[in-house]
Amino acid sequence: MDSLILLMLVLLPLAAGVAIPLLPPPLARPAALAMAGAQLAMGLLIALGENDLSGFAIQQSWLPQLGLALDLGLDGVSLPLLLLASALTAMAVLATPVSQERPRFYFSLLLATNLGLVGAFLARNALLFLLAYELILIPTTLLVASFGGAKRAGAAVRFLTYGAASGLTLLATVLAFVWLQPHDGSGPWTLSFAYGDLAQHTLSPESQRWVMAMLLLAFGLKLPIVPLHGWQPATYSQAPTPVAMLLSGGVSKLGAYGLLRFGLEFLPDTWAVFSPWIAAAGAISAIYGALNAIAQLDMRRLVAYSSLGHMGMLVLALGAATPLSLQGVVAQMLAHGLIIALLFCVVGLIEAKTGTSAIDELSGLLNPQRGLPFTSGLLLLGLMAAAGVPGLAGFVAELLVFEGSWTAFPVPTLVCLVASGLTAVYAVRLFNRVGFGRLDNARADWKSTTWSERLPAMVLSAAVLIAGIWPQVLTGLSESTTAALAINTASSAIFASPLIS
Amino acid sequence: MTTTIAGVRLPLIPPSTHPYADVIHRLEAGGSMLPDTPENLQQIIGIYKAYAVPMDFYWRDLLYIAERVFLNPLPAFKYFISQEYLDLPNSYAGDNAALRIWRGGEKAHPELLEFMAKGETRAMPKLLHHLWHDRVNMEFAEACMQAMFWHQGMGGRFNDYIASDAYRANADRAIKAYFKGNLVMLGLYKLFPEMFLEQVRQLSYTANLGLFWEVMAPVFFEMSDLYDEGQLTSVPQAMDFLVNGIFAVAGRPIYHHVFIGGECFEIIPKSEGFTWLYEAALPYVEAVFYRTSPFRGTKSYNAQAQQVPADQADFHYGILYADVFPVGSAGIPPTLLMQDMLHFLPPYLQELYKQHRRGEEDQLIQLGITFQRSMYNVTSAVIQALRCALLYPLDDTDPEHLLANRRFFEAQMDRFLRPEARLSDIQTQDYR
Repeated sequence: MDSLILLMLVLLPLAAGVAIPLLPPPLARPAALAMAGAQLAMGLLIALGENDLSGFAIQQSWLPQLGLALDLGLDGVSLPLLLLASALTAMAVLATPVSQERPRFYFSLLLATNLGLVGAFLARNALLFLLAYELILIPTTLLVASFGGAKRAGAAVRFLTYGAASGLTLLATVLAFVWLQPHDGSGPWTLSFAYGDLAQHTLSPESQRWVMAMLLLAFGLKLPIVPLHGWQPATYSQAPTPVAMLLSGGVSKLGAYGLLRFGLEFLPDTWAVFSPWIAAAGAISAIYGALNAIAQLDMRRLVAYSSLGHMGMLVLALGAATPLSLQGVVAQMLAHGLIIALLFCVVGLIEAKTGTSAIDELSGLLNPQRGLPFTSGLLLLGLMAAAGVPGLAGFVAELLVFEGSWTAFPVPTLVCLVASGLTAVYAVRLFNRVGFGRLDNARADWKSTTWSERLPAMVLSAAVLIAGIWPQVLTGLSESTTAALAINTASSAIFASPLIS
Repeated sequence: MTTTIAGVRLPLIPPSTHPYADVIHRLEAGGSMLPDTPENLQQIIGIYKAYAVPMDFYWRDLLYIAERVFLNPLPAFKYFISQEYLDLPNSYAGDNAALRIWRGGEKAHPELLEFMAKGETRAMPKLLHHLWHDRVNMEFAEACMQAMFWHQGMGGRFNDYIASDAYRANADRAIKAYFKGNLVMLGLYKLFPEMFLEQVRQLSYTANLGLFWEVMAPVFFEMSDLYDEGQLTSVPQAMDFLVNGIFAVAGRPIYHHVFIGGECFEIIPKSEGFTWLYEAALPYVEAVFYRTSPFRGTKSYNAQAQQVPADQADFHYGILYADVFPVGSAGIPPTLLMQDMLHFLPPYLQELYKQHRRGEEDQLIQLGITFQRSMYNVTSAVIQALRCALLYPLDDTDPEHLLANRRFFEAQMDRFLRPEARLSDIQTQDYR
């Protein structure tokens, strides 16, 4: 039964993605919503019902000559991320206007993205992970290129280029992981990309360093971290709002997940060697993202750079790899996923109503009669959450990140703390400009947002609030898994690493 | 303003080259600054009606404050108007009116009494209505009074009089009578006489405004009735009604009486000869329509910030320039007036607002802009009345006289050249 549920989690988006093009266009949105809702419901059932996730496993040979197997499973890290991906897909569908053009094409691509995400989080085989990872690139590129803003072509090309570079690097990394393993020639050389086998690798320290460098490049491009972020502001600002929600909230988390899974779990010794540099890169990303966000004149680009900054904090916590910081990693992945999706959702809604996301062109949105007071209120909540205001999800995640990282890397943590302070600067600056001041009567000829338009942002806001008040939501499922990873790191690295000696 | 040669009517003076030339030509033709359209007429008459009902409360309560509450150091109940003042006969309405303008009754308007009883919510004690802010917003009326008091010096003799020895002597008698037996207040008066006198001066302006609005409420009620009967059919007609009204009541007295212990103290006696037009109407239009002061918190009065003009005469925050969007929230007087008028909108205006912008959701804004249109019409009436009193008739055949009229109109329009002025906005119906 557990295996069946696991299979259904993957088959649902696959089946819906195939079926939607055959349905009448008006049914595309409800079908996509039903799929995302069902997937989320199944994920919640698992999360609420099972303490032992080991039963959720499928091992089916697929292409044994290549080492590819339908090897699926769940653990404390992948389950919350599965929930995040499902929830964000549902919110992305809800945030898509009913009048969406070419709905069958659009929703099929959206579900293909979901398939890739869920597949990657459930995969227990590196080649399968790679397939899912690569799968995401195609529909998301098409979504940006077909439904994006005025400069979508350039953004899509850039996204594709960086994504392909990330995918190819990951392919090389995964192959290198297996091929570089020493073989004594006593028996037939079998290819296995199963996580269990990769964890038992016998790579030389030299090989490990190469593999780790490639891993950092591949997943650094996906997160992204500075200086690998060239695709991000353009893509996030040009993507349709629901796609931006999914990309920033869900897809970018694949980078962090990949580093956690392949880097920290499989190569803990080498991770310890690289960790100061990883933490430094995180700090640089955090401060760079925050400073750039302050300078932005467009809300979408501001949110994009805000995301870059928060990804930096996440990378810092990954670098620290203490039990607390790793809890912070998962919490930050979830919190950031919700907050950034909320921000893009609200900014998209404001843009759809006012016709602009330029900060200088907007003011007085809190005006109770002609403004967008409710939507602006949600924007304020999202900005407060991003700034780490207590009582909201961002605070919990950042507190764990900073507290967990401080002992390992005090200076980068301090830099990230400054970046977190700067988050409040751009949040206040943005809201002061667009929320307060005079609403221009000549421009304010727009209708108010409807409840159905507000719904995804309201759900995300509720999630941000609940997670802020009840942090167990962010850390409860992953606590034991991250603790085990951190213990691995502590026992084998930093102090007793042969690589350091 | 034209001459006829071989059947062709030629203008006696060349066209104006002023940026508001179209408006000036309209004024020279006997029109209003507000274009003559059926919708404009409907909007302004409807809003006059909606304005007149709370105004019926404003003038009664202003007189109540000036004459009865007077120097009460804790005037917590100054908006709890007595029945005597609710029943106070309006001097311009009812059968016994000294100068009857409105055919209706002289006591408080029935719609006002109904609202005072129920409010927006339900019937409950007056105190609860007050605390729930479910009431007529007297704060707006007081803000208008304060604008008149603060700007001062806008023509007339009223302002000079309240600085005179005669006024001080009258005020002194009233103050001593009011605080008779109250040693603390009398002691304070001895120590800080100017503070008390300044309060009395403010109360004199309170009476001034009350007496001004006592006239305007029946004027607006009558205009609404005439419109409903089909007797007002154009914007110029509405303006002419106001011009005629202005001249009819121009000489009515402005005074300040205080009733203490059954005795009337004449702080500004009627015998001083202060009249409605010069001591109340013109200062009111200047102070409230043109100048007032910025909405609280929106401008810095710090001289170095240079956000407000150095000269008070250059202030331009009145309804003719106002951004009717609520900046902030409750507490800003124009917003409160809009809230007051909302309660008394005639059905045809409610229907009109439903058809535009956000319909019922933003009625406050739409009626605020309607109010702006209507006040441009009132200002037009004042400008025409001044032209009538000081210059020449519009149908004068002497080009020199017409040029003098032109210069007057152009000088008036110069005040709307600043970008904040809404004169150009109200020329189209798109401004809502």
